Amino acid sequence: MADPASGSGDKSVQVKLVLLGEAAVGKSSVVLRFVSNEFQANKEPTIGAAFLTQKCRLEDRVLRYEIWDTAGQERFHSLAPMYYRNAQAAVVVYDVTKASSLEKAKSWVKELQRQANPNIVIALAGNKVDLVLPSPSTSGANSLSESEDEADDATATPGETPGADSQPESLRQVPREEAQAYAAEANLLFFETSAKTGEGVVEIFTEIAKKIPIEHILASTRGGAGRPGAAGARPGQRQEGVNLEENQAKSKDACNC
Amino acid sequence: MEINAVLSLGVQGEEDSYAGKLYILPPYLTFSSVDRKSVRFTIPLSTIRRVERLNARAGIYALSLGLWHGMKIIVQLTSLRPTADVFCSLLRDSLKVELQRGQMKAVKTFVKTCYSEALVPTESSVGDNEREDGSLISEEKDGSPPRESTYHGGLGLKFKFPGDPKKLREASKIKLWTTYLRAHGRNLTLLRYPQCTRLVQVGLPNRLRGEMWETLSGSLYLRFANPGVYQRTLDENKGRTTTSTEDIEKDLHRSLPEYAGYQDEEGIAALRRVLQAYSFKNPELGYCQAMNILAAAILIYMSEEQAFWLLGVLCDRLLPGYYSQSMHGTLLDQRVFESLVQRCLPIIHDHFQEVDVQLSVASLPWFLSLFINSMPMVFAFRIVDCFFCMGPKVLFQVGLAILKINGEKLLEIQDDGGFLHLMRDYFASLGDSAHPQSSDPRARAITRFQELLLVSFREFAVITDETILSERRRFRSEIIHSIESFSKRSAVRNLKSLERFSKEQAGMIYDALYKAMFMVPNTVIATPPTPSLLAANGEPDERPETRIELRTFQYFLSEIATWARDEKVVSNGFQQRIDRSIAEHEFIDRLFFFWDTSCKGALSFQDLVSGLDGVMFNDLMENIEWFFNLHDKNKDGFLSKDEVLTLSETFLFIFRYEIGDAYLGAVSRFMTNAFEYGDALLPDHEKSEEKPDGESTKPQAGSNTPYLNLATFRMVVLADEVLESFFETDLSASFRLESVPDMDLPPSSSGLLGDIWSNIATADNKKIFHKFTDEIGKTIGKHQVIHRPSIGRYTKLDEPKAHESLLTPSMRKSPSKSSLTTTSSTLSIPATPPMLSVDSSKKLPMRPSEYSPLPMVKAANAALMERSHFAIDDATGDDDTDDESERGADDDQVMDEVDAFLEAHDSGLTAADKEVANDLLHAKPVK
Repeated sequence: MADPASGSGDKSVQVKLVLLGEAAVGKSSVVLRFVSNEFQANKEPTIGAAFLTQKCRLEDRVLRYEIWDTAGQERFHSLAPMYYRNAQAAVVVYDVTKASSLEKAKSWVKELQRQANPNIVIALAGNKVDLVLPSPSTSGANSLSESEDEADDATATPGETPGADSQPESLRQVPREEAQAYAAEANLLFFETSAKTGEGVVEIFTEIAKKIPIEHILASTRGGAGRPGAAGARPGQRQEGVNLEENQAKSKDACNC
Repeated sequence: MEINAVLSLGVQGEEDSYAGKLYILPPYLTFSSVDRKSVRFTIPLSTIRRVERLNARAGIYALSLGLWHGMKIIVQLTSLRPTADVFCSLLRDSLKVELQRGQMKAVKTFVKTCYSEALVPTESSVGDNEREDGSLISEEKDGSPPRESTYHGGLGLKFKFPGDPKKLREASKIKLWTTYLRAHGRNLTLLRYPQCTRLVQVGLPNRLRGEMWETLSGSLYLRFANPGVYQRTLDENKGRTTTSTEDIEKDLHRSLPEYAGYQDEEGIAALRRVLQAYSFKNPELGYCQAMNILAAAILIYMSEEQAFWLLGVLCDRLLPGYYSQSMHGTLLDQRVFESLVQRCLPIIHDHFQEVDVQLSVASLPWFLSLFINSMPMVFAFRIVDCFFCMGPKVLFQVGLAILKINGEKLLEIQDDGGFLHLMRDYFASLGDSAHPQSSDPRARAITRFQELLLVSFREFAVITDETILSERRRFRSEIIHSIESFSKRSAVRNLKSLERFSKEQAGMIYDALYKAMFMVPNTVIATPPTPSLLAANGEPDERPETRIELRTFQYFLSEIATWARDEKVVSNGFQQRIDRSIAEHEFIDRLFFFWDTSCKGALSFQDLVSGLDGVMFNDLMENIEWFFNLHDKNKDGFLSKDEVLTLSETFLFIFRYEIGDAYLGAVSRFMTNAFEYGDALLPDHEKSEEKPDGESTKPQAGSNTPYLNLATFRMVVLADEVLESFFETDLSASFRLESVPDMDLPPSSSGLLGDIWSNIATADNKKIFHKFTDEIGKTIGKHQVIHRPSIGRYTKLDEPKAHESLLTPSMRKSPSKSSLTTTSSTLSIPATPPMLSVDSSKKLPMRPSEYSPLPMVKAANAALMERSHFAIDDATGDDDTDDESERGADDDQVMDEVDAFLEAHDSGLTAADKEVANDLLHAKPVK
C-alpha cells in the first residue's frame, strides 16, 4: 500500500464534493461550467451520479475536487447517501424561478446536516439567474405575489428549456433576500448563479475551498485512517500539473460510468 | 396442460431431436427441453395450420404440426396414452377457439410488420426463392429497403445505425440469420435451438435487431395480442400532463443526444410518445430517469409500437422494480451483485471493503441503463442482445467479468474516484485488441469486448437464473427494511414540526400510519387538490403527499389508542391470544375531522403528529379543554344539549369494557350534574335580558342552542373523582406509542425447500387454526372470552393478565421461532467456494453427467485457435459481391466467434430415442 505520508509532500488536497437538488435545476450544468467552462443546453441526464474532477487553486494550495453530480429525480433520493457519505463539501442547488425547488433544497440541507459528515461545508446555490433581471428581487417579496408568480409560470413554462430568452422579472419566484436569510440561519454559503452565463459558479467553489478545514483533512489522511490514498498518492492516476486548462480538457468528456 | 414430448424438426439432419415438455397455455403452445435452455419455443396456436397424427411404430404417439411459415415440427408424445389423448383433444379445442376468435386471420397481417418476412421469402414465393435470396442481400447492402416496406423499423433506417456495417460484418450476419430463420421459423413461430443463442452472442445484425429483441424478450406476443393498444393509449390521454410527462420533457433532449435521430424533431417526438404512452399505461411507475436512455436505444431499432411493448416487458418483467418509485429492484440487484462479487471475486471484494469503495457507484448505471450509458453503443447493444436472449443474469455475468478482467488494477485503486476512472478508461478501450502482443494474428484480432463476453459466458456460466432468483429472495427483506427505515427517517426529518415528540416516537407514529395504510389501503391513494387549486398551484399533480382517509385512520387509531380497538382475550385451554378488531364509533370520526385542520378530508403524517401532540402531553385542565373542544362542533365555546349527550356517549364508548360499575356510575352522575348545572346556570336572566321578548319555554334550552360552557363542563367533570382521574392521566395514557413489530413479508413464490411455516403463517390459516382450537376449547369447556378494558384502573375483579400469559409463549411463539432458525440456517450458506454454493442453490438435476466447465472451455479454446472452416459457410456460393473471398473470411470470423461460445447441448435422448424420432420424419399421417 502507498505510504500515506508521502502524500503530504504534494500540495494538492483531495476534496469530495456532492451536488444535490431537485431535478432540472441545473446541477450538471453548474458542474460542467466549473469543470470545463462550457454550457450545453442538452446534457445527458445523470443516472445515479456523474463523477468529475477539477482542481482549484487557493493561495499556495491546490484543491482537487472530486465532484459527484447526483440525479435529481425524486425516486433517486434513496441512492443519495451512497454519494454524500464521506463528502467534505456539498452544493445544494435550487432554481430561482421555481419556489418548490428551494423547499427541496432545504430538505436536502436538513438531511446533510443530520446524516452526512459532521464537518461538511454546505453551499446553497440559486441557479438560473440569467432568467431574471440582474437587479435582485424587487418584486415577489411577499408571499402573495409569489403564489401569483407560480400560477404564471405554470401556464407559461412547463417543460420549456431553461434557455428561453430574457424574461420579465416576474419569473423569479425565490427572492434573493429570502434564500439568503435562510442560508444565514442554516449556516450555509450562499450564491446566486447562472450556469449559462457563468455568473457566480467559480465563486462557489473558491469560497468552499476557503472554508474547508484543509488542515483537518490533511491530518486525517496523514493518519492514514480509512482513506490512505486521498492526499494524492494515487498510483496510475493522471499527474496533471496545476494548470486548470489542461485539466479541463481531460475531464470534460466525463461519462457516467 | 403439460406433457412429456420429443421434438424433432420436420427436415432430416437439420437439428437433433430433443426431449422436453410441451405445454398448452392457450393461446400458446410452448416447448422447453429438459435442460431448460437448449431448445425452446413459444408459438401462438393461431400459427398452427395443420395437425396430423402420424402413423408410426406401434406404441408411438406422434403429431406433426404444420406452421404458418411452412415448416413442420414433429412432437412425439411420450406420456401415457390417455394423457396424450387428453392433450390432443385439448389442442383441438384450443385451436377451434383461436379460429373463432379470428386470430388465424390476424397472423397474416401481423407478420407483415416483421422485417424477417422481407428477409426470408414467404410461402407464396417459396418456389422461386433461391435467386431472390441473393439479391435480397445485395439490396440490403445498398441500404435501400427490400421489396415491400410494410415491416416496422426504427430510426436507424432513416438516421443510420450506430457502428460501421462493414466492421460489424452485417452482411455475413444477415446471411446466417436468413438461413436460420428459414429453417426454424421466424417472428411468431421462431424455434430457439442452440444455434440461435450462439448467433445472438456474436451480435444481431442491425436491421433484424429490433424484431429479434421483441421476439426473444416476448414483447412480440404482447404486440400481437393487443393490436392498436399503443395508439389508443396515446389518443385517450391526448394533451394530458402529469408529473411523468413533465419529467419526460426535461429528458427528451438528453437521451443519446449524440445520435443523429435525436438531433431531429422526428426522433424526439417518437421518444416522447413512447415514454408518455408507457407512463399512461403504468401510472404507478410513471417515468424514471434511465428509461429515456433505454427507450431512445430501442427506438433506433424498432418502431414506436414495438418499442412501447418492449419497454413494458423491460420495466415490468425483465428489470422488476428497477424504475419504481422506491427503485427497490435496483437496490436489490445491487445488493445481489455485491454478494456475487463477494462470492466469486473475494479478493476484489475484500480490497473494496478495505479502502471503503462502494461497488454501486460504478455498477448502478450499468444495470439501470443496460450498459448503454457506460459503454460505446455498439458494444452495449451486443450486451443487450444477450440480455434479451438469455435474461437478466447476463447483466450480472458481464458485471462480474468486467471486474475480473480488471482485477489487478482494481486492487490498486484507493477510492471511489479511482474506481470510476479505471472503469471509464476500460470501457473506452473495449474496441482495442485484447492481446496486442500476441504473435498469432487471430489472437490479436480478438477485441477486449470479445474477451469480455467470453469471460462473462464461460467463467460466469455458474451464475444461472436460479442463482439470481435465490439471491434476490435472500436479500429482499433486508432491502425492503432499509428502504422503509430510510423513508421513515426522511419523513420524520421533513415534518414541519415534531411537536413534543422525540424522533423515535414520531417514527412509531409513522410505523402505525404505514401499517394502517397497508392493512386498509386508501381508496384514492393521493387526494388531488381540486382542479381550480391545481391550476393556481401551477404544479399539476405535484408529488402526492401521503394522506389517509377515515377508514385507514380508524385502523391507525386502533393501533395507538386503547379504546379505539376491541380486544378480546380468548383462552381455550390450548392457547391464550388477543383478538383485536377496529372499534367504530362516531367519536373516532369526530377526532378525524378535528385533526383535519386543512379540511382535505384526509390526514397527513404531520396532521397525525400534531393531532396526537394535542392530547398526549396534556395535564388535567388541558385534557378537559381538549375534550370539550372536540365535542364543540361549531366552536362557539358552548356545548349544546345534543353535544352534551354525544359527549356522554363518547364516555360510554371509551369506558365500554371497564369492569365494574364505577365508570357507568360516573357517566350517569356526569349527565345528571351536567343538566342540573346547565339548567341552573342557564342564563335565563341573561337570555331574557338579551331578548326581552324571550320564548315562553325560557328555561328549556333547545337541543341545538348553546348550553354548557367550558367552565361549567370543567366544574361538572371535577365533581367526579373517576372522571377527574380519567382526564388527569388516563386519557393521555390511553394513547400508546409502541413499536410495531416487523411484519412478516408475504412468502415469495415458495422455494423448493418449502418452508412449511411460511405456508401456515398466512393470516387466513392462522384464523382457521384459532377457530379450530376455539372449537375444541368450547367442547372441553375451557373457552373463555374477556373483553380487555381500555383503561382498566378500577378493576377489583380478577382481570386476566393479557400480556404475560402462562401458556402463550410456548404455544404461540414456538412455531415462529423454529421458522426463524430454519431461515437463518439457509441464509448462512458457506460462502467459500463459489461453485459449491451455487450448486447447492440449484435444485433440479441439470445435465448431471457433464457438468464440468473445464473440459468445455479447453475444447472451445482449442476450437478457437484451430478452426479453419465452418460447414455453414458453404452457403456463400451465390453472393454477388466482388470481394467474395474477403466476405468468406468474414463469415469465418463471425463463426469463429460463434464457435467460441460452443457448448455441449444435451438433447436428453438415448440413441434409440433418436432413432425413433428420426423414423418419424418419414412417417405418413394416419388416414
